[in-house]
Amino acid sequence: MLLMALLAGCASQTRALLEAPPAGLPQQVELERTPYFEQDDYQCGPASLSMVLGAAGFDTRPEDLIGRVFVPGRQGSLQIEMIAAARGQGAVAVPIPGHLDALLKELAAGHPVVVLQNLSLPISPVWHYAVAIGYDLDRRELLLRSGPEHRQRLALSTFEHTWARGEHWAFVALAPGQLPVTATEAELTAALVAFERGAPPREAHRAYESAAARWPDSYVLAIGLGNTAYAAGDRASAAEAFRAAALQHGDGAAWHNLAVVMRELGRLDEAEQAARQAVEADGPWEAQARAELERIRSLRKRPPAEPAETTGAARR
Amino acid sequence: MKRLRRGIASLLVASVAFTGFLHTAQATLIGTEQVAQASANRTDDRSRIEAALARDDVRERLQDFGVDPQQARERVAALTDAEAARLAGVLDDAPAAAGPGVLGAVLFVFVLLLVTDILGLTKVFPFTRSVR
Repeated sequence: MLLMALLAGCASQTRALLEAPPAGLPQQVELERTPYFEQDDYQCGPASLSMVLGAAGFDTRPEDLIGRVFVPGRQGSLQIEMIAAARGQGAVAVPIPGHLDALLKELAAGHPVVVLQNLSLPISPVWHYAVAIGYDLDRRELLLRSGPEHRQRLALSTFEHTWARGEHWAFVALAPGQLPVTATEAELTAALVAFERGAPPREAHRAYESAAARWPDSYVLAIGLGNTAYAAGDRASAAEAFRAAALQHGDGAAWHNLAVVMRELGRLDEAEQAARQAVEADGPWEAQARAELERIRSLRKRPPAEPAETTGAARR
Repeated sequence: MKRLRRGIASLLVASVAFTGFLHTAQATLIGTEQVAQASANRTDDRSRIEAALARDDVRERLQDFGVDPQQARERVAALTDAEAARLAGVLDDAPAAAGPGVLGAVLFVFVLLLVTDILGLTKVFPFTRSVR
């Protein structure tokens, strides 16, 4: 009896949640439209990924993901590669805070969540990925698509035990432009910078736009906005983003990138001004800033092949 | 002959000047990942070198663990510097989730040992007494 009480007592997040659920959280949520893929042996990773990617609008099958996450010698899939593989399919993959409140809030917002569980004890772990698709506060249960079970009902406290052994790790995979409800600025920024690596510029830009709307003071997000606009061929937007970032944060990278874009737009006065600001700013960008300043100055000295536009006073 | 040489010379000069222009026009923007790393005070050359080494390390070890070489290359290329560095540190020990099917095997062994203990064939558990 005492042992049971002790064990139950360790599900502290569950107790706190049931005593004081977050304001506005619905009593029941079930994301019925989340697809289900039955997993093959050792392939809970690909199966779980396919489910959340499908829910986000990216049709994928587990067979296509095995080659991206399965490590034969470890007979399973690793967390870092799960995140990278979700990105590789076009989704923004973001870890969420390791708290039951956060998990439920994401579900309430319509986002299924991949969770890592140790179904056994720490001495002989059985690691497993499942997809949380809902919950029932009255019944104190979590709903999951897990292994052979299309709809598993698990006591919240039991879930918490299995989840805690994996350090409460969980992530959502969303279409670019959608944001997790609970992710921190740091996690989301890292996720978007990673996403930008391999995503089409327009998609990455869309993702940065919504993130920058939520965190307008973020320097890295502003740079991402500018870089992706540029990569998508929109120099005017890129210039706007870099200028705003430079004025707000005064950092050399923003001034440098602004200078480059201005030069390419043929606006050499403004380019030179920006380059000079870049050189004067503190930070690790001085060498690049000087090189850019030189480039601009030598362009201005070069006799133009065709009449150049001047943005200043008209030539007479 | 002289005219030809002069023609070639001016062509050479023009092409060098042209490539010089190309070089200046193709200056790249400072990337978002670099800016993010700078914000976290990770800008020195050493960390860039470490990142490259971590990538190679991860790629080789994935191959050692049976991942196809081409796939290993692609999978590592998909990682950020920070992810590659982290993965290098945990590749051997981090949870590699396979699913609940494994649980059946664990359970089966447990029950098997329990039975053999009871039959007196083994003595794994302290609480069993053989039926004989």
